[in-house]
Amino acid sequence: MQIDRTLRAALTLGALTLAAHAQNALAPRTLTPPDPARSAYLVDDAPPAPGAVGGPGLALMVSKALTVIWNGTQVVDNALILVRDGRIELVAPRGDAGVPAGYVVRDCGALWAMPGMIDLHCHVGGSMDINDMVYVTNPELRVQASVIPDNPNFQRAIASGVTSVLYIPGSGTNSGGQGVLLKTGLPNYEESVIRDPGSLKVAQWGNPERWGFGVGKTWENFHLRDMFQQGRAYAAKWKAFEDGKGPKPEHDPRLDVFRELFSHRTQVSTHTQVAQVVMMTILMIRKEFGIDVYIDHGEWGGYLYAELAKELGVPGIIGPRNVDVARTGPGPWGGANPEKMTAIAGEYQARGMEMVGFNTDSPVIPQEELFLQSAVNVRYGFKNDDAQAVRGHTIVPAKTAGIDKRVGSLEPGKDADIVILSGDPSDPRTSVEMVFIEGRKVYDTARDVRRF
Amino acid sequence: MKFSTMLARSARTLAVAALAVPVFAQDPAGGEGQAGGAAGADATKKDEGEWFAVVNGDVYSGTGAVLRGATVLARGGVIRKIGHDLEIPADAKVLDAQGLRIYPGLVALNARGIASRFGGGEFADTFDPYSQNLVLALAAGITTVSDSGVAVKLKRREVKGVVVRERYQSTLSYSSAAPRGKSELDAKFEAAARYLRDYRDWEEQKKTNKDLKEPAARGVDPTIRSILENRSMARFNAANRSDLLGIARLAQKYKFRPIIEGALEGWTVADELGRAGAYAVVVPRARRDKSEELLRDGGSSIENAAILHRSGVQVAIQATSTFIDLGGIAGRDVLHLPIEAGFAVRGGLPEQAAIEGITIVPARILGVEHRIGSIEVGKDCDLILLDGDLLHYQALVQYTVVDGKLVYEKDKELYYAHIRPRPAAQPTDAPEARRDKGEEKPADDDTPTEGGDEKPEGKPAETPEDKPKDGAADEAVDEG
Repeated sequence: MQIDRTLRAALTLGALTLAAHAQNALAPRTLTPPDPARSAYLVDDAPPAPGAVGGPGLALMVSKALTVIWNGTQVVDNALILVRDGRIELVAPRGDAGVPAGYVVRDCGALWAMPGMIDLHCHVGGSMDINDMVYVTNPELRVQASVIPDNPNFQRAIASGVTSVLYIPGSGTNSGGQGVLLKTGLPNYEESVIRDPGSLKVAQWGNPERWGFGVGKTWENFHLRDMFQQGRAYAAKWKAFEDGKGPKPEHDPRLDVFRELFSHRTQVSTHTQVAQVVMMTILMIRKEFGIDVYIDHGEWGGYLYAELAKELGVPGIIGPRNVDVARTGPGPWGGANPEKMTAIAGEYQARGMEMVGFNTDSPVIPQEELFLQSAVNVRYGFKNDDAQAVRGHTIVPAKTAGIDKRVGSLEPGKDADIVILSGDPSDPRTSVEMVFIEGRKVYDTARDVRRF
Repeated sequence: MKFSTMLARSARTLAVAALAVPVFAQDPAGGEGQAGGAAGADATKKDEGEWFAVVNGDVYSGTGAVLRGATVLARGGVIRKIGHDLEIPADAKVLDAQGLRIYPGLVALNARGIASRFGGGEFADTFDPYSQNLVLALAAGITTVSDSGVAVKLKRREVKGVVVRERYQSTLSYSSAAPRGKSELDAKFEAAARYLRDYRDWEEQKKTNKDLKEPAARGVDPTIRSILENRSMARFNAANRSDLLGIARLAQKYKFRPIIEGALEGWTVADELGRAGAYAVVVPRARRDKSEELLRDGGSSIENAAILHRSGVQVAIQATSTFIDLGGIAGRDVLHLPIEAGFAVRGGLPEQAAIEGITIVPARILGVEHRIGSIEVGKDCDLILLDGDLLHYQALVQYTVVDGKLVYEKDKELYYAHIRPRPAAQPTDAPEARRDKGEEKPADDDTPTEGGDEKPEGKPAETPEDKPKDGAADEAVDEG
């Protein structure tokens, strides 16, 4: 025992010495002192930045604030945005409100402000090993363990205004596991996480069939229904136990997530596309099992079931295929309009769906090109006369994921996730100049190397 | 090499010889005689052919000049006059561009699957003037593509004259991965340069000394010689800083202008590339992470195109995918060249330079700038008419004109007719007829912007989010 402790002490000492050497070796190379604003959250004794928790208040002045409040104000011209302790305090026309004493004023001139964008289909939240095809359904696997906060992909995403993502497993099986809702620019997992599990990833078609040759939609529906039935029974047993109406069930880690799902504390995000598959998403997961679910991808002819989705309250988050293309021919893939190019989100919209948003499926489309998903949809017919494009990046995905109490609009009380940019967020020509996440300035082109 | 290509090459060599040496030094057009027999056609075009006029449109000539409400008059496929109050011949076909903007047709470099579905290179034989991809390309505003280095005009329903110019570029390899290739290339340039020097000396001296022997061309690389004689352009594919620097120095040493495709790290050595007079073909949103081992700048930058442009490099813009993507992922393929150019603007490239990057600069790279790439008198009448700013993501091509013929009409074709159809036949003086929804308001027409080097910051009324909204239901008023 004594030897063991000595050995450990020696090893620790050795490690410390090595670390000290490494520090010394690196020290002369540090030509510029670290930027206190950048490292405010890394160095304990640095004063908190304006707007961040514990810091002084921050007053942002912009020429236009896209507030996109659900059933509320969409735009405030010549806006003053007050931020304190990581939250938004006030958004108002400059003439209607003054800057309280002690607030640091940042006049952004002609720039605009919008809420941080939300991508509900992201695979670049960490190490890419998120597609373990162990069983036909793997609801117990969690991407949580693979998260790398503030990774290079997120760094770029921040530079285009993406501040929240749903990082989910791949679609190699009918259920790849549990995703996690994250902020993109914060230094560690504990601060980044918005909700875990963020969702149970279900993939209904268009990838899971790689599990075996000749596998079709019937086979996949069978296994999914089987999984949900097992989960429902498991959740019901625990519910009965909690209500004092039954014995304590045996703990089954594989099915634990269904307790969350059937008590509506989390939801299913479904990789679903092509009309008959989207139909099964709505009819099976939503109608038959009563689970909170939304359409992810939703491509090709999926919009043919938009009316049903609307009726049963299933939102549609569309991408990265945005156009139902003029293509005919044999094979399972095909649009519904062989002679037309139509915006897929536009088709959902045309069938009365209001909850239509956009996703990237990064790295299929780079995370930083989230805004382009709305641009292309608007180009090919998505109506944007009431800020629907911006809403599809902000308040719609926030409501879809059930995190609209914290993010999705510029509204007092919400997280100060604010993007300062040069104009229309959907326009590729627009440049993002500054990004705040929970009041912390995580990107500023005046300070950082331009990333996107 | 195929026999017909050999014939074409030798014909070109003969044509150059006939023009004599001083001509190609002065002729900025690169010599029409080289353009694969087009010279004869051009000569006959001048006095005959059908008249074609586009009237009432705002002409964005591509050179920076904008003529509002002007007429473009063409005959035999060649632009004859641009201006106001032009007399239009009675037999001319007239296209009313009221409320539209007219830009030169776009030039898509390295586009695949448009000039020929299966590649191959003999486009005069394999061009399909009825293909779906051709129509989609015309609908995207593309009127000329290069495929395998050949400039191909996207004519519809005809094949005569589709090849504007045969291969003008010579692809050279210069890579740090093959150091021996680098030194061999330098040696070839050295040998060719020495031969040309000796040849000029001999030409001078033989006037007095008839017995002097002509220097032997044996061992001189014909490709390198053609580059140094300006008959061909050197094209490289390079991304790394060290390779780009090497190419820039090679070009400065032997005085030729390199075309560099990729040029991902070009922004780190932009001044050197500028001094070398380089052309860069860039994909503005191409990504590559900086190697953590390097202390210097590296990796991709969204500012690449802007920095290269500021340093005097002529920047052409290529789409992320050079194919037509019918998989549904839109905004990244060759059909979205203006959106790709928008990403360069995002990085700071002036809008005029971005437009040139998809019109006149690629035309120069293909050696066809005397015919294509801008709206100017004497050039081919290749026009696109849009319902707004070419670089705005919502603007769609309404009409495409190739060689003075209307080849695409959005409202009468498949694919895009259902999207924001233009109001039918309004009286020409009605202000409502001026703009489609989501575009510039008539009030803006008085502002003398020249296609805009600066990015309009406020962009009033350009975007629908612009309008103050308080949950009012009266927003759908201007819905088309």
